[in-house]
Amino acid sequence: MQDLAFLFSYLLQGLGVTIGVTIIALSFGFVLGIGMALLRVYGNKLASTLAAIYSTVIRALPVVLVIFILYFGISRIVDLSPFLSGAFALGFASTAYQSEIFRGAILSVPQGQMIAARALGMSRWKSIRYIILPQAIRIAIPAWSNEAAIVLKDSSLVYVIGVPEMLRRAEYVSARTLEPFIAFGVAALIYFILTFTTNRGLDYLERRYKLQM
Amino acid sequence: MKTRSYIILAIVLVLTMLLAACGGGEPANKLEAIKEAGKMIVGTSADYPPYESKDEAGNFVGFDLDLIREIGKRIGVEVEIQDMAFDTLIAAVQEGKVDAVIAAMQATPSRDEQVDFSTPYHWQMDAFIVAGDSAITMTKPQDAAGLTIGVQTGTVQETWVLENLVPLGTTEDQIFRYERVDQGALDVKNGRIQVLFINADPAAELAQKEGLKVALATSDTVDSGQAIAIMDGEAALKTEIDRILAEMEADGTIQKLLDQYGIK
Repeated sequence: MQDLAFLFSYLLQGLGVTIGVTIIALSFGFVLGIGMALLRVYGNKLASTLAAIYSTVIRALPVVLVIFILYFGISRIVDLSPFLSGAFALGFASTAYQSEIFRGAILSVPQGQMIAARALGMSRWKSIRYIILPQAIRIAIPAWSNEAAIVLKDSSLVYVIGVPEMLRRAEYVSARTLEPFIAFGVAALIYFILTFTTNRGLDYLERRYKLQM
Repeated sequence: MKTRSYIILAIVLVLTMLLAACGGGEPANKLEAIKEAGKMIVGTSADYPPYESKDEAGNFVGFDLDLIREIGKRIGVEVEIQDMAFDTLIAAVQEGKVDAVIAAMQATPSRDEQVDFSTPYHWQMDAFIVAGDSAITMTKPQDAAGLTIGVQTGTVQETWVLENLVPLGTTEDQIFRYERVDQGALDVKNGRIQVLFINADPAAELAQKEGLKVALATSDTVDSGQAIAIMDGEAALKTEIDRILAEMEADGTIQKLLDQYGIK
């Protein structure tokens, strides 16, 4: 019992890294993802093609490869810490996935909304900002909640470049005690609790901001 | 329009950065850089007791780490340990992310092309582990040919299997690669593989813990000693490390550490 309590507290010390990486990656991906989705839908030919290429290329690469590229390639130019390299790499990857989520959401807002907004004299940017996006983001929540769960678990990949997040800590314990089931079982439980709470939170947001139409 | 061009610029920048895979390395001499910084950053993969692991308090412990800390002390700098995946270590030292790597790593010719190695500080043995009730007996390493065999990814044992057992009839789908040795041990226990081929030092402890037995411990499969990896061409750092290793060999420090961790 005492061992289990120790294991919990030991793994929880990696929780900050796991949550930090996840929040940075998700916010990064949220901002750039919406930007790219807008370029895809409303941008000119060049912009939408570039955004489409980005999304296609990045989604084709395993996330761990994006981490390597950022940590070993780009850091020759900008020296990023392993933590930031990992968080940004996951952010770049998440940008691609989130841009697809938001693109789908924007497209599923009825076209009449845009036409009506323009007819009322709103500029294009204003129509997007005040009419399209508020609806699109609501529509995107269920898919986004899925992406959040994926990024949360992908955050364990940053250990390859030496960021001791929760799963790596479980490996330390497993290597020392030679009892992998207990170490990884506890890690699994913590991941479950994290994912569960995140998704419940997003469910709440979804209900709270549901459009009454 | 202005916002949009900023966004485009950002995307273009990102893409260029992703493509920029080549550039210049660190200037000057690594040894001087280490002394100037007052610390040496050392990469390891802390899941390999008794060589390197983390204790309950979260400290990096093990034979290799005590050794490198002593080397740091004799150079006159602090040692900062950076843990990463074993597969990543060579790239990390090549890119200058770490100043040196110590990870029970054997100085094989193929690794030697990528990085420079110190003189070996320890010669290890390899071991073949089988299930406790296994009828397999081995008198030489080649006896493992044709059996399902587990190895740790990126290790010399993996290379040995590919170079020596494959010509004797082991097929690719009989070779199982694991991220860590304890995962391989579990598969031996579960009967998914017949033998696990790893370094002899963790083998004994692993076998005892999981109720397995060591079928053969041998040095026939070992042709390179364990050494410290540093960036290619850093002659001054290599000379300094080699000098200290020789000194530690002579004054018995290395033997004392080996005894302390029960390594043969």
